[in-house]
Amino acid sequence: MKKKKRYFGVTIMILALVFFYLPIITVVVFSFNGSKSLTVMKGFSLQWYERLFRDSQMMDSVYTTVLVAVIATVVSTIAGTLAAVGLSKSRRVVRDLVLQINDFPIMNPEIVTAIGLMLFFITLGVERGLLTMILAHIAFCIPYVILSVMPKIRSLDPNLADAAMDLGATPWQALTKVIVPEITPGILSGALIAFTMSFDDFIISYFVTGRGVKNLSIMAYTMSKRVNPTINAISSLIVGVITLILVLINLVPFISSKIKNKKNLTEV
Amino acid sequence: MKKFSQLAVPYIVWSVIMLLLPMVLVVFYAFTDSGNAIMTFTFTIRHFVRFFTDPDFLLVLWRSLKIAIKTTIACVLLGYPVAYFIANSSDRQRNMLVLAITLPTWINMLVRTYAWIGLLSKGGLFSTLLGFFGLKDVEILYTEGAVLLGMVYNFLPFMILQINTSLCTMDHSLLAAAADLGADGVHTFLKVTLPLSLPGVISGISLVFLPAVSSFFIPKLLGGGQYFLIGNVIENQFITVGEWNFGSAISVIMAMIMMYSMYLVRHIEARNSGNARKES
Amino acid sequence: MKKRVLVLAAILAGVVLAAAGCGNSGSGSGSSSGGSADSKNENKFAGQTLHIYNWGEYTGENTISDFEKRTGARILMDEFESNEQMYIKVANGDAYDLLVPSDYMIERLLKEDRLQKLDKSLLTCMDSLSDEVRGLPYDPENDYTVPYFWGTVGIVYDKNKVDIADLEKDGFGIFLNTKYKGDIYLYDSERDSFMMALKYLGYSMNTDDPEELNAAYEFLLQCVNTMEPEIVTDEIIDNMAQGRKALGLIYSGDATYVMAENEDMGYYLPESGTNIWSDAMVIPKNAEHVELAHEFINFILEHDPATDVSTYVGYTSPNKEVMEELSGEGGEFEGINAYIPRSGNPNDEVFSYNENSRKVISELWSKVKIAASNAN
Repeated sequence: MKKKKRYFGVTIMILALVFFYLPIITVVVFSFNGSKSLTVMKGFSLQWYERLFRDSQMMDSVYTTVLVAVIATVVSTIAGTLAAVGLSKSRRVVRDLVLQINDFPIMNPEIVTAIGLMLFFITLGVERGLLTMILAHIAFCIPYVILSVMPKIRSLDPNLADAAMDLGATPWQALTKVIVPEITPGILSGALIAFTMSFDDFIISYFVTGRGVKNLSIMAYTMSKRVNPTINAISSLIVGVITLILVLINLVPFISSKIKNKKNLTEV
Repeated sequence: MKKFSQLAVPYIVWSVIMLLLPMVLVVFYAFTDSGNAIMTFTFTIRHFVRFFTDPDFLLVLWRSLKIAIKTTIACVLLGYPVAYFIANSSDRQRNMLVLAITLPTWINMLVRTYAWIGLLSKGGLFSTLLGFFGLKDVEILYTEGAVLLGMVYNFLPFMILQINTSLCTMDHSLLAAAADLGADGVHTFLKVTLPLSLPGVISGISLVFLPAVSSFFIPKLLGGGQYFLIGNVIENQFITVGEWNFGSAISVIMAMIMMYSMYLVRHIEARNSGNARKES
Repeated sequence: MKKRVLVLAAILAGVVLAAAGCGNSGSGSGSSSGGSADSKNENKFAGQTLHIYNWGEYTGENTISDFEKRTGARILMDEFESNEQMYIKVANGDAYDLLVPSDYMIERLLKEDRLQKLDKSLLTCMDSLSDEVRGLPYDPENDYTVPYFWGTVGIVYDKNKVDIADLEKDGFGIFLNTKYKGDIYLYDSERDSFMMALKYLGYSMNTDDPEELNAAYEFLLQCVNTMEPEIVTDEIIDNMAQGRKALGLIYSGDATYVMAENEDMGYYLPESGTNIWSDAMVIPKNAEHVELAHEFINFILEHDPATDVSTYVGYTSPNKEVMEELSGEGGEFEGINAYIPRSGNPNDEVFSYNENSRKVISELWSKVKIAASNAN
C-alpha cells in the first residue's frame, strides 16, 4: 500500500520538477544557439554571450539590479530588525497601527503600490531615477523583514533585555549581544526574502524609475518584443550564479563540519 | 523598556510617509478630477461610475477574476500532491526537494516567463510535440492557455511551499491516533490531514490569487497585445492614455476586491479552525 | 556557521557587483565604424551621461558603443513604444537630454513650449539632409528639430497568401475582408489605426469631426469583432519575417527589414492615401547636457553611423547620400519599395496635432483594444 503511494508520488514529483526546470534548461541550451531562432538549435556558439558583454545597456541593467538589491537588502534588514524590536516593545495600539500600514505593500496588488509610489514621487517633485528605485525597493522590502523577524522576537523571553541591562549592559549592548543573536534566523530569512523581492521586482521598478535607469526585469520586458537571444545569455548567467551560491551555501557547513571533525581527531 | 520602543519611531515616520501617504494619494486621485497636477481639483465619483457602467470594463474585470480563479484552482490541485510527497519524505530528501522547488523562484520572474515564449511559439518544443499527436500548426502562444500556463508556472512553487510547511508542522501524533482508532488511509487523510493542512492551502491561495488578478506582464508577454486583463487596463491608463484619475479609480476598485476576498478567505479559515478545534 | 554563510553571500554579491561594474565602465569593445577618436572631444565629454528617450530598437549595432568610444561619454537610453507614452513621462518631469518624437508629437511639444532651440553653430549635419526632410511643416526653419528617420505607413503582406487584386480593390479595407480572418496584424498605435480607418472611409486623418471619428471607431470595432486580429507593435517584425500571418499594418522601415529577410513579403500603399511621417531629434528645455546632445545629433547623421543605423533598423535615413547608396545598385535595400517613401500622391497626409481629436482617439482606441480582448 505504502509503496504504491510512493510510486505515484515520485511520478508527480518528477513531473513537477520537469515542469519547473524545462524552461530554464531550454533557456540555457538556447543561449548557446548558433542561430538567432528561439525554437531551432543550429550549432554551438558563444555569440550571445559576446553580445551580452558588449551591450552596455544590458550590463548597466544588471549592475543596477544588483546594486539596488544589495542596498535595499542591507538597509531594509537593518531598519526592519530595529523597527521590529522597537515595535515589540511599543504600546499595543501603536504596534497594531504600524503593522497594519506594514501590510499595505504585501496585501495590495503590486501595481497599486507601484502607482502610489509613482504619484508620491511626482507630487513631491522628486526626479525619478536610480534614487527613487532604491527608495521604493527599501519601502517594500522592510515589511517582509519585519514579518520575518517579529515571530522570532515574540518567542523570546521578554525579560531578556532587562536582565542583560541589570547585569550592566548598555541598551545597545543588550540589543546587539543578546537580542540580535537570538533572532538571527529570522533576520537572515528576512534578508533573503528582501533580496529575492528586490532582485525579482518588475512592476514597482517599472513605474518609479526614470531617465533611462533600468533594472533587469525592465530590460527583459522591453526586449521581449523582438527575438533577442541575448536575454537567454543573461538568464543562463543568473541561473549559473544562483546555482553556484546555493551549492556553496550547502557545501560550506558540510565542509566546515568535516574540517571540524578532522580537527577533533587530530587534537585527540 | 521605553528606550527600546524608541527604536520603532524612525520606522513609524518612514512607513507613514512611504507606505501610507502613497495609498492616500491613489485614493485622492481616484476621487478627484485634477488631471496630473495636484494643484486644482474637484471631487467627483465619475470615474467609478464610468467603470461600473461600461460593460467592456466589467467584462475585463470578470475575465481577470476568472483566470485568477482558474490559476488558483490549478495551483491547489497540482500543488497539494507535490507538497504531500515532499512532506512525507525523509528530512534530507525534503530539504533537497524544497531547495529544488525554491530555486526557480530566485530567477527573475520576467526571465522565467520569457523562457516560455520560445517553448510555446510555432516551431517550438510544445507545438512539435503536439504535431506528433496529429495536431498540426496549433497556436499556443498568445492564447488564454498560454497565460494560464505562465501564471501557474510562476505561482505554483509558493503554493507548494505553503502547503508543505503546514503539513510538516502538523501534529503527526494525530495521524497515529486516527490509525489507532481504526481509520484507514483515505479516511485519515480526509478527516485529519486535509483539514489540518488547510491553513497552508489558504495562505497559498492568498499568495496566488492576488498576484494572478493584478498581473499585467504575464498577459502581455504570453497573451499578446490583445489579451487585456485589469492589470493591463490600469497600466494602459497610466502609461499610454494618461488618465491618472481614472487609472487610480480602477486601482482602488481592484484593491477593494482584493481586500474583500482576503477577508472572506481569512473568515473561512477562522471558522474552519474553530470547527477543527471543536471536532478534535 | 551562519556567520560564514553571511560572509560568503557578501563576498559573492561583491564579486558580481564588481564584475558588472567592470563590464559597465569598459563597454564598447565592438568594431569601430565611426570616425577616428577625437581626443579633444573625448576630454570635453568624459564622464558625462547622455539621457536619450528613443523608440525601441532604433539604433544600430554599434551606434551606442561607437559614440561612447568617440566622446568618452556614456549613453543611458530609455525606450518608448508610442509617442503618447513618451509624452506622459516628459510632461511629468522626467528629464532627458534628447528625445526622438514623431511629427505631430513635436508639434504638441512645441505648442506647450517644452523644447529648446538648437544651436545651429554646433550642428555640422544639416547639409547632409535630403530635401524632402528639410524644413518640414512642423519646423520650417529646422530651429528645433533634425530628422532621424522618415517613411510611410502601409500594408505588409505575404505574396503567396494575399491576392494583389484584393489589396488594390480594398486598400485598407482589406482589414475587414473576412477572407483573411485570423491572419492579420493590427498595430497598437492609436493614431495609425485611426489613420487607416479614416483614410479608407475617405476622410482626412487630421479630422476632428466627431461623426467621422466615430465612423472610424466603428470600422475598427468591426475589425476586432470579426477578423480576430493580433494587436502588436514590434512583434510584427520578426513574425512577418517568419511569415506567421498573411498581412498587417506596418511602418515602412519595419517592412523594409521584413522584406530584406523574407523575399515572399511585399509592401503595399493604398491609393486612398496614407501617412507620411518623420521622427526627429529634439532637445527638451530641461536637458542637462545640451552640447553633448548636439554632438549626438551630428554623429547619427554622419555617413557611417547613419549607414549603420539605417541598415540595422531598416528605416529610411534622412542622410541623402546614405539613402541613395542603400537603395541603389548593390545597396542593402536594393529593389525594396518600402525603403523610399512615396511622393506625389495627393491623398497622402502628414499628421498634425489636434488636442480635441487626440483625446477622443485615445479613449476610443482603448475601447477598441478592450473589445478585441473580450472578443476572444
